[in-house]
Amino acid sequence: MSAGPYKVCLLGDFGVGKTSLVARFVRSTFAAKYLTTVGVKVDSKEVSRPGRDPVKLVLWDIAGSNALDGVSASYLRGAAAVLLVADGTREATLAAALDLLMQARTLLPSAAAVLAVNKFDLVERWEVGPPTLAQLRRSLPVIETSAATGIGVEQAFAAIVAGLVP
Amino acid sequence: MIDLPALPLPVRRRLREILLDRSHPLVLSFGSGWELCGLQGEPDWYGIELASAETAIAALRDLFIGIELDQEQAIPFVELTNGRSVHVHLIPDGEAFHLLLLDAEPARAAQRDQQQLANEAALAGHAKSKAIDALKHIRSELERQRGRLAEANALKNALIATLSHEFRTPLTAAFGRLRLLEQGLPADAGQQRELLALRRNLGQLQVLAENLLEYGRGEAGAAALNPVAVDLAALAEDCRTLLEPLALAKGLQLRVTLTASAPPPWLDELRLRQVLVNLLSNAVRYTAQGEVALLLAWDGKVLRAAVSDTGIGIAPEFQTRIFQPFNAGAQHGSRGAGLGLSIVRRLVEQMHGTLALESTPGHGSRFSVQVPATAAAPASIPPAAPLQGCVFIVEDDPDITQLLELTVQGFGLQTRCFDAAPAAIDAALAAAPALVVLDMRLPGMSGAEAAFALRSRGHRGAILMLSADAGSDARAAAQRAGADRFLAKPIDFAQLEASVRELLAPR
Repeated sequence: MSAGPYKVCLLGDFGVGKTSLVARFVRSTFAAKYLTTVGVKVDSKEVSRPGRDPVKLVLWDIAGSNALDGVSASYLRGAAAVLLVADGTREATLAAALDLLMQARTLLPSAAAVLAVNKFDLVERWEVGPPTLAQLRRSLPVIETSAATGIGVEQAFAAIVAGLVP
Repeated sequence: MIDLPALPLPVRRRLREILLDRSHPLVLSFGSGWELCGLQGEPDWYGIELASAETAIAALRDLFIGIELDQEQAIPFVELTNGRSVHVHLIPDGEAFHLLLLDAEPARAAQRDQQQLANEAALAGHAKSKAIDALKHIRSELERQRGRLAEANALKNALIATLSHEFRTPLTAAFGRLRLLEQGLPADAGQQRELLALRRNLGQLQVLAENLLEYGRGEAGAAALNPVAVDLAALAEDCRTLLEPLALAKGLQLRVTLTASAPPPWLDELRLRQVLVNLLSNAVRYTAQGEVALLLAWDGKVLRAAVSDTGIGIAPEFQTRIFQPFNAGAQHGSRGAGLGLSIVRRLVEQMHGTLALESTPGHGSRFSVQVPATAAAPASIPPAAPLQGCVFIVEDDPDITQLLELTVQGFGLQTRCFDAAPAAIDAALAAAPALVVLDMRLPGMSGAEAAFALRSRGHRGAILMLSADAGSDARAAAQRAGADRFLAKPIDFAQLEASVRELLAPR
């Protein structure tokens, strides 16, 4: 018996690694080649919790964009949580993720939100600095992730689960 | 909006074929609890196998989590597990509902290709922008480093110029006083020994100072050659005078042999002297018994100098290393700064000469130098004759001033001394002395400025510039200012006399 299912939408600018994060989380795979997502790809995974029922997450990997259009907004219907994804090597994608969060909040005022700042394996090229993330952590859970190495990926989805199921 | 029933039957039929062919519709009908009630269309087109339809239905059901099923819904471009993209429509039907799947793969593929190109271009643009920023940063860093290097180099040059002055000025005074003592005092044997020791130590200090300055100048900072007519006999004697006390103290014999079959060679005497003294010092240092020999041979074209010893010799593996700076410790018993041979090599190269080494450990070494004459020897050296006239000496160091005064007076000339340029200029313009000897570095107005001021005010007498800075820049500055001759400190008194005689010779 599992709790949920909970619909979790991944939002973020193009090329930040949303599809890669899902692939790492669901299938433990990583493809270095960038392939644009068009529309949405839906996957699911049960997240086990020590001593408690697992939680089923249905992950909506939505085409990358720095703003919600009508189609993207339609994908959010019924979502219990959003995983915002930014690329640490491109600071503009962090601003985009925060803009998307603001827009998503108008549609999903009570949805849980977690920010994954991806490409942690390239941290030496990051434009996003630690002080910025330290400040953001006052507002929402922020996890540095790497879909390439897997660092932080489980934690990001665990943070989602924590936001969904107290 | 088109009225389908009103369309002619063939049109309706064709339209239906096209739509069905393009969209491959699949209709799944469900009861209120997601129980499959009916299915029409091509399930295999979407990878749905009837035998395992439950998995596919569960995946479709996930699409509607949190969504009311009693309202029409449309979810465009949903990628199914078989990788195909579909438009999913939910159509309520009383308590039941239908899911209509329409193939979106061709549209998705076209959109993805276009989007992929645009996104890749944007990513490449970002990478390019970052690369340009990185290059700008590197360039700015390089410029900063270059500025710092230039500043450090300027500081080094200033330091060397200062050191040159600080070393050479007192050395000049000390040598000059020593010369006066040697000439003027009927010294007894004990006094002669003391004077010799003084000369020996001063000589060592001079060699060390010159070596350090030469090393500090570096390869690129080499001054231009300063060829003069070299009195080889005097040079050989100077070498003997300098090194013999050291050799005798160790029980060594010092042999100096000169063979000259032509008028004096024109060479950079300071460099040549530094080469010979360094080689001889080394030979004496590394020879415990036997002899050290200097052979000088001048045939009118090439000066050959060989310094040989019966010392410890140099093992083959050290024969290259000893020419590197700071090689002290390269061989047993070595002492000193380890600069001598590296300076020798550099100086010989600066004089366009060659340096060779033959050595057998335990038997001794022989350093052979060949230096071509740098200029044709003049047809004749001005004959020594009594000099007449007045010489102005402008020098701020009282010791040097007194030394110059005594020396010039020794040539039979009158002197007037000044410690600053302005007074000397006024006096020179009024008295028109035959020669003005200027120190390059004077307080306030420099020697070069003074020379320029004299020439620009019509002074036609000779000007001799003295400088502790032997660099080509100083020499060129003096010449541009109007000096007739330039002599580097420490002053070689024979050279000074030759220059004074040449400048005061009837024109």
